[in-house]
Amino acid sequence: MEMLLMGACLSMFGLAVTCLAFGAATRPERSAPAMAVKPELAKAAAPARFFVQPPVQAAIPIAAHARVPLEVLLLQIENHVRLEQAAVESFLQTPTSALLHSRTISTLVN
Amino acid sequence: MVKADLLNGLSEEDAGQVMKLAKRTILTSGAELFHLGDVAGSIYLIARGRLRLTLPMQVRNREEDMLVEERAPGQTVGWSALIPPYRFTLTATAPLETEVLALSREALMEHFAANPGTGYAVSMNLASVIGERLQLFQTMWVREVQRMVEARCA
Repeated sequence: MEMLLMGACLSMFGLAVTCLAFGAATRPERSAPAMAVKPELAKAAAPARFFVQPPVQAAIPIAAHARVPLEVLLLQIENHVRLEQAAVESFLQTPTSALLHSRTISTLVN
Repeated sequence: MVKADLLNGLSEEDAGQVMKLAKRTILTSGAELFHLGDVAGSIYLIARGRLRLTLPMQVRNREEDMLVEERAPGQTVGWSALIPPYRFTLTATAPLETEVLALSREALMEHFAANPGTGYAVSMNLASVIGERLQLFQTMWVREVQRMVEARCA
């Protein structure tokens, strides 16, 4: 009886491991396309040349990389200016170091 | 009468005397009040509507007028008219039908010469408007520099 129960438990455990492995193998990859696009955009910004080190791309904001329509980009810039002004007005009301560099939800810099 | 920031602290009578110098202008939606680089002959008080102050910026190889500030009724625009070299340093456009009161430099200077008290009060108010603008953009500039430093050091 004990042997039978042990066998049943081991079978269930084996089945669970198999299901997990199957699930992991068939799950669609979500982060892979995003990772694949970034190097292409970086290459487009700086064409490759022989014997020249590629420039560091970290300083360019995300919004500059993304090929959003011009109208959307202009709205993002305008929204950024408005958010910055609101943040600055808040600082000028109560000048503190923390408020001076407070973050906004601007998509242009986040 | 419009409660204008430029006329703060003036008695109703003195403010009324200044307002008598003003010329009322109505701008249709999208109309430009003044353009960057234009000779600045008048300062404007917004009576109704809004004014967008913009500067040109290159976006994807195209020159676009980008919003710098938006001004509302009671606020003053175009103080370049009172400060040499009397050239507008921004472009002002009405995003909707807007009414402004134009005060010419010549008329104001003549009035201030005859009424030094009014001239002093308006000059102080103008200094306040300019000071607020300076503080605003100084802080915005520091925030941008901070972001640049963070990006460089990342």
